Amino acid sequence: MSRTVMIVDDSLFMRKILRGILVEKGYNVVAEAASGIEAMRNLHASHPDIILLDIILPDSNGLDLLASIIGICPDSKVIVCSSIGQAPVIQKSLDLGAKAFIQKPFTPEKVAEVMESLED
Amino acid sequence: MDMFPYRDLFVSEARGHLSAFSELIVHLEESSGDTAAIDELFRHAHSLKGMAATMGYEQIVGVAHLMEDQLSRVRSGELQLLPALADLLLEGGDTLTLLVSQVESGSDLFEDTTGLIERLTAYDPTAETPPPVNTNPSCESAATFQGSAVSAPHQFRQTDSFKSIRIKTETLDHLVNITGELITNRYLLDESIRLADAVECWEPLKQLTALLRNLRDQVFKARMLPFAVIAERFPRLVRDLARKQGKVVDFQIEGKEIELDRGILEEIAEPIVHILRNAVDHGLETADERVMAGKPHGGTIKLTVRRDKDHVDIIISDDGRGMDPDHLKLKAVQKGIISPERAAQMTAQEACQLVCKPGFSTSATVTDVSGRGVGMDAVHEAVHMLAGALTIQSQCGQGSHFIMRLPITVSIIHALIVQCGQFEMAFPLTVVMRTLELKHSEIIEEHGGGLTIRVDGSTLPLRSLRRILYLPQAPETEGALLPVIVCDVSGTLIAFEVDRIFGQQEIFVRPLKSPLSYLRGVSGATIAGDGRVLYVVDASALA
Repeated sequence: MSRTVMIVDDSLFMRKILRGILVEKGYNVVAEAASGIEAMRNLHASHPDIILLDIILPDSNGLDLLASIIGICPDSKVIVCSSIGQAPVIQKSLDLGAKAFIQKPFTPEKVAEVMESLED
Repeated sequence: MDMFPYRDLFVSEARGHLSAFSELIVHLEESSGDTAAIDELFRHAHSLKGMAATMGYEQIVGVAHLMEDQLSRVRSGELQLLPALADLLLEGGDTLTLLVSQVESGSDLFEDTTGLIERLTAYDPTAETPPPVNTNPSCESAATFQGSAVSAPHQFRQTDSFKSIRIKTETLDHLVNITGELITNRYLLDESIRLADAVECWEPLKQLTALLRNLRDQVFKARMLPFAVIAERFPRLVRDLARKQGKVVDFQIEGKEIELDRGILEEIAEPIVHILRNAVDHGLETADERVMAGKPHGGTIKLTVRRDKDHVDIIISDDGRGMDPDHLKLKAVQKGIISPERAAQMTAQEACQLVCKPGFSTSATVTDVSGRGVGMDAVHEAVHMLAGALTIQSQCGQGSHFIMRLPITVSIIHALIVQCGQFEMAFPLTVVMRTLELKHSEIIEEHGGGLTIRVDGSTLPLRSLRRILYLPQAPETEGALLPVIVCDVSGTLIAFEVDRIFGQQEIFVRPLKSPLSYLRGVSGATIAGDGRVLYVVDASALA
């Protein structure tokens, strides 16, 4: 069975691009969220295997959200998306329990590579 | 990966970032301490850069990156957002908007950004001339941007969700047309049921009426957009004009959240721009002139949107030099627009309205700012085509108010239906002030041959709708009362004598096609309950 994914990003553009890449690679995108609140709501409903989380969201601190997600769904694997130049945030999210990170801008290959690294 | 399918989404989202970006810069220039707004600004530049990088638009990335750099210096407190930097950032925003349009059109030829990139890289805050120091402490507030105090704080990015979908405006227009036809049809059905005395149809008709009302409300709601949609660019416009003129302007917008029909918003944006241009260019005095006149050195322009039952008022006020009615009258007489006799009778408010006459311009020099684009006559016409009314109030030395009263929806309006000979005519309620019934003896014949009536102590000109329609005069019946409608035609009250007043009705107005569109005094038509065509009166053209 293909792995289920939720994409959390406030940009519709980014969500669609990520969805395009993931679907092509055979993942099942079960939910999208544009805000922290939406992410929490979808989390309860869909329990995705993998969560792609943009660390900068308009309504919440990405790190707090990450902590809540891991608290509620410890089995879900979180990949943090962020831009170049945010090394401290990436380190903090890995400390909090994120499994990997993707730097923006990304190539489809890079996304696929990071996703596959979780399979091990 | 083929990025083409994501291009439209990129364009629409990038535009959202860019328009919020410009708005925030203008806001920040006035309230530099708003750190949340600085963060927000930074995020817009940053998100845009990320999106463009994903799409591979290197030129957009380059410009956005440098803007982000300067903004991060503002954020850290290293730089202040002084006018020169704001100019540069706004220019950057404009260039990015242009690049995004080029992306949209699919052209490979991109704008040359080298000059802008050099200037963004070389920006030196020490070269900036500091803003003029305000010596009068009471004027401090004039320089602060108060727009944020009255409207919602700067916009955060809106989240898209599957609860809303994009829909072609064409489809909405179609829905409105069908709804309008259904309403017309209901009146036809109503008439037939009454004629046939089909009592059993009353209840279903009642239900149909309620459902249609509901349908109409929902369809119109779908077409409504907040005024903010067109208001976004106004602060920037006023700011740029004021800077060009060396004037200090505090621009405030109130009521951005009020919703209007998309069609009305589309038509009214340019007229508002024109009035704002006029206000900055001609309305407001220079700082020195203002101080001499005992006013704060910075001027205030206020754009207020107010909803009142079935119409919306858009009011643009300034505290500038105002208009001199005598000067306006003199100009109008010199230009042959009115006779000296008419000028002598005119009230101050009527004189202000003269600026709406074609060919009238009081400015001695045509400037780069207000000398182009639409004139006040075009503004006046645009408002009337929307079945609205434009009123100008001004006090010499105190400033001016431009009041545009508009219906909330374009094509379904409330109207007063009257009869005149074999015609039924509809007066939009936005212009009707009151109805009267007069005795023949109450009509006064003036020396010039014109007719007038006295209402509440003032004398109003009386026009016969029959004469306007080239119909023979109705035979005078002894003791009969004449129905009269008093209309506000651009601030002047004019009475129209009709045969009969039927009452108020909601009508679906269809535009007239050639050759009927050339008819003076008629702005559209609708179909009456019995299938006859009913014309919508444009009172301003009959005055």
